[in-house]
Amino acid sequence: MFLGWLALTAALAVQSVLAETHVYNWTTGWGVQNVDGGKDRPVITCNGQWPWPDVRVKKGDRIELYLNNGFDDRNTTLHFHGMFQKNSSQMDGPPMVSQCPIGPGDTFLYNFTVDGNVGTYWYHSHTKGQYQDGMRGAFVIEDDDFPYDYDEDVVLQLGEWYHDVADVLNKDFMSVYNPTGAEPIPQNLIMNNTRNMTWEVEPDTTYLLRIVNTGGFVSQYLWIEDHEMTVVEVDGVYTEKNTTDMLYITTAQRYAVLIHTKNGTSKNFAIMQKFDDTMLDLVPSDLQLNTTNYMVYNKDVALPEQNYVDELDILDDFYLVPHDKVEAYGDPDYQIVVNVTMDNLRSGINYAFFNNLTYTEPKVPTLLTALSAGDDAVNAEVYGSNTHAYVLEKDEIIEIVLNNQDTGTHPFHLHGHVFQAMVRDQAYDDALGEVPHPYLEDDHPAFPEYPMMRDTLYVRPQSNFVVRFKADNPGVWFFHCHIEWHLTQGLAIVLIEDPLSIQASHGQQLTDNHKNVCKNVGIPTKGNAAGNSQDYMNLAGENVQEKFIPTGFTAKGIVAMTFSCLAAILGLITIAFYGLMDIKNVEEKVVHDLDLDITELVGQDDSASEIRDVTK
Amino acid sequence: MAKGSKVFNVSVFFVVFRECLEAVVIVSVLLSFLKQSVGQQDVNIYKRLRKQVWIGVAAGLFICLAIGGGFIGAYYSLQNDIFGSAEDLWEGIFCMIATVMISIMGIAMLRVNKLQAKWRVKIARALLDIPERKRDRFKIGHLTRRYAMFLLPFFTVLREGLEAVVFVAGAGITTQGSSASAYPLPVVVGLIAGTAVGVLLYYGTSKSSMQVFLVASTCILYLISAGLFSRGAWYFENYRYNKATGGDASESGDGNGSYNIRKAVYHVNCCNPELDNGWDIFNALLGWQNTGYLSSMLCYNIYWLVLMIVVGLMMFEEKKGHLPFCKHLTLRQLSPTYWLKNKKKDELTQTQKDELFKKVEKLNFNEDGELGQTAIDTHCDSNASENSKSKLEANVVTMSK
Repeated sequence: MFLGWLALTAALAVQSVLAETHVYNWTTGWGVQNVDGGKDRPVITCNGQWPWPDVRVKKGDRIELYLNNGFDDRNTTLHFHGMFQKNSSQMDGPPMVSQCPIGPGDTFLYNFTVDGNVGTYWYHSHTKGQYQDGMRGAFVIEDDDFPYDYDEDVVLQLGEWYHDVADVLNKDFMSVYNPTGAEPIPQNLIMNNTRNMTWEVEPDTTYLLRIVNTGGFVSQYLWIEDHEMTVVEVDGVYTEKNTTDMLYITTAQRYAVLIHTKNGTSKNFAIMQKFDDTMLDLVPSDLQLNTTNYMVYNKDVALPEQNYVDELDILDDFYLVPHDKVEAYGDPDYQIVVNVTMDNLRSGINYAFFNNLTYTEPKVPTLLTALSAGDDAVNAEVYGSNTHAYVLEKDEIIEIVLNNQDTGTHPFHLHGHVFQAMVRDQAYDDALGEVPHPYLEDDHPAFPEYPMMRDTLYVRPQSNFVVRFKADNPGVWFFHCHIEWHLTQGLAIVLIEDPLSIQASHGQQLTDNHKNVCKNVGIPTKGNAAGNSQDYMNLAGENVQEKFIPTGFTAKGIVAMTFSCLAAILGLITIAFYGLMDIKNVEEKVVHDLDLDITELVGQDDSASEIRDVTK
Repeated sequence: MAKGSKVFNVSVFFVVFRECLEAVVIVSVLLSFLKQSVGQQDVNIYKRLRKQVWIGVAAGLFICLAIGGGFIGAYYSLQNDIFGSAEDLWEGIFCMIATVMISIMGIAMLRVNKLQAKWRVKIARALLDIPERKRDRFKIGHLTRRYAMFLLPFFTVLREGLEAVVFVAGAGITTQGSSASAYPLPVVVGLIAGTAVGVLLYYGTSKSSMQVFLVASTCILYLISAGLFSRGAWYFENYRYNKATGGDASESGDGNGSYNIRKAVYHVNCCNPELDNGWDIFNALLGWQNTGYLSSMLCYNIYWLVLMIVVGLMMFEEKKGHLPFCKHLTLRQLSPTYWLKNKKKDELTQTQKDELFKKVEKLNFNEDGELGQTAIDTHCDSNASENSKSKLEANVVTMSK
């Protein structure tokens, strides 16, 4: 017994001794890069370099990342995608959710420990469109207890690339002239920040390939000619081995796969990426849907041709089983049902909605409201009527039912957790006349025994999914579509998890650095969504979305219609009156109208003067 | 696309209907001339010439229909190639052209007595022209004289018919979502209805009910025309919006985003003439759109305002002989062509007018039905004038108001 205790203490001591602190000092800025071989364009750099470095740490390590905002005209933030941020919710990243945005010239210290996470992650700016301008990188947490064997660990960062910066694209995207909310079409797919990448491999070697889609829009199909991939991890969750020929990866999703290379080196192979072109509003004729990259065994042998497949036979991640075999959570204590729609508001701009609410930033970051609201923090109202906030109680089982009434595929991401995927329905194709299909509690497929767990899950067109998680991580967590365009359109809700525990935790209190950052951008550190720190229930002056477009006639329409009808009636009366009026000298008028030469027509007219008017 | 616009184009119907009423007037004027000059002299010649008139009318009509059909068929088969993505722009331009055409022609044809008088003068002139002009060219002159009663209605109907074809094409093309298949039925129905109504009213009841019908159908044409003007503006607005959005927003449905909300005065998420059954008729007749843009609504109101002013001026001039406040100015003098041609005519006196018709009466048809040389008698005695007067009175429409 004593020995056991001793051994445990020793083990803990060893671990804490081994845990490292990694200090990063990053400054944002602008540079110019030709990423896809197509066009020089501005990119966001890290300390003047691009691409941004990959982060590789061990489980339990501490990160101290100083992010200096080197821009002179915009705020920034950094989000560590998939980190649980246990007891450090303010380090999560999304501006006005968990922190104040970092103003130009300011510095924010992201200081957290990665003890709950292992595997493949990434980091990116959570500020409007910045990661599509290149502000992102892979974040790998190595684990000494990795359950499978491999020889080498390689990161494969997928993405799409635009030839314009997000500023330009956003201006056209959120515009009255983009009434359907058509997302900008990327120019190319990229891999490891280049096009037609070459990966040199050794024969007869097992690689652990960590695949991250760091794009902001399209899902990608990925396959390697003549090589199978064995999935062993999704979004930081180890899975039972599952072998497939092809992966389908939405933005922000990660897959770690084992690939065993061939013995011979006589041939090189194609690594294929393909757009999920169903997500594109239209496919430009010059867009290459397939991009070929190279798995090179032998540099002296010719590079492979593009590889074609007969069908897109992808792995359905829903059926993956976590390695730990976590049993499905029971019936939920709290259910959130959200319906996804897209519509235009009064300005004619297209927005995205959960239950007719498009996420609108509060005046005080939600976490700061939770920390300052005292007992009112458990009341969702203080977080504002337009932030779409839900307050979750400690250790509740939460179920999110998402009904997609839109015809697109959307990858949804929950901060601070991995969730269990209980149901993911098939697609309902509106081209075939099918209508959106909501989740029905009394008519759904059986829940899996050991549901797949991850942090980003896609929903199919006009379909639904159900996820469950346990509210055991006090903090403020964003749940949103990870298509950056849709987040800009407001497709997000905010979950305030166990706010009283956040207040009670020493580690969750605002750092002095954070308070300074708020001060420098003029955002209060206390108060409700409207910035009112006296009366938290008074939301006067909060930010709200534009009004919906009225259906039918408004006052000015009725006025216009009335005037038009009146004008038409008066006009018709005038015509009728004129038409029925008696006319004198008809022939004379007609000859006149026809421009005839009278003398030519009838010759002289000196006689017959006594003839009377015939039209009398 | 609504089913209605695929088989029955309403504007086309009204244009054909309207043109048929006029055709009835033309034919009746011709026949009455014929009856006057030869009817009493020789029944056989009269019958033969009357047959010629009918054959001429039928031939002219047939050729018009053939040309019209070919033209419209060609237009629709080439439509996409010609206009492509700028279709809205072209539709807007066509709308504007059609508006101008209908507006100008509509007033001129508004009154049956004026219409009849117009044709009387026109035909009289044509009849008198033939023998004189063809004096030297014997061969052709012979043929034209022989078949004058065929050729005159033939060319008249052909010319007027081609005008109608342009009208029909204009009215049809500017109907939203129209297709070539939407023409035959309204053309046929319009022909039958127009002729039937024309004959019934012209010969059957009284001239005044013919007048009412003319006014009513002209009113409908003006409603169409005002709608076209408004639609023209609407198409321009739509074209600008579609160009800015890079797609065809109006085809994405009735809902939000199918129109430029910043320029809209009203919008209803239904009743889209391009998509919903039945509303295309309101579109064709009244220019209805489920989105009212500021420009299209303004255009509609301005159209009626201008029309009322113009008609008001015409009424004033008709009563007083000049425009208000300008003793020596008439509407005709406001037209640039009036000064361009520089033919400020003397007024046609009653006498001159009588002379004209008197000459027509004296047209000679020989036993073959050939039109002979007219004995131009400019110095007729008072007896003859009395004669002609009574005949003319039978001929001239008297408004029974």
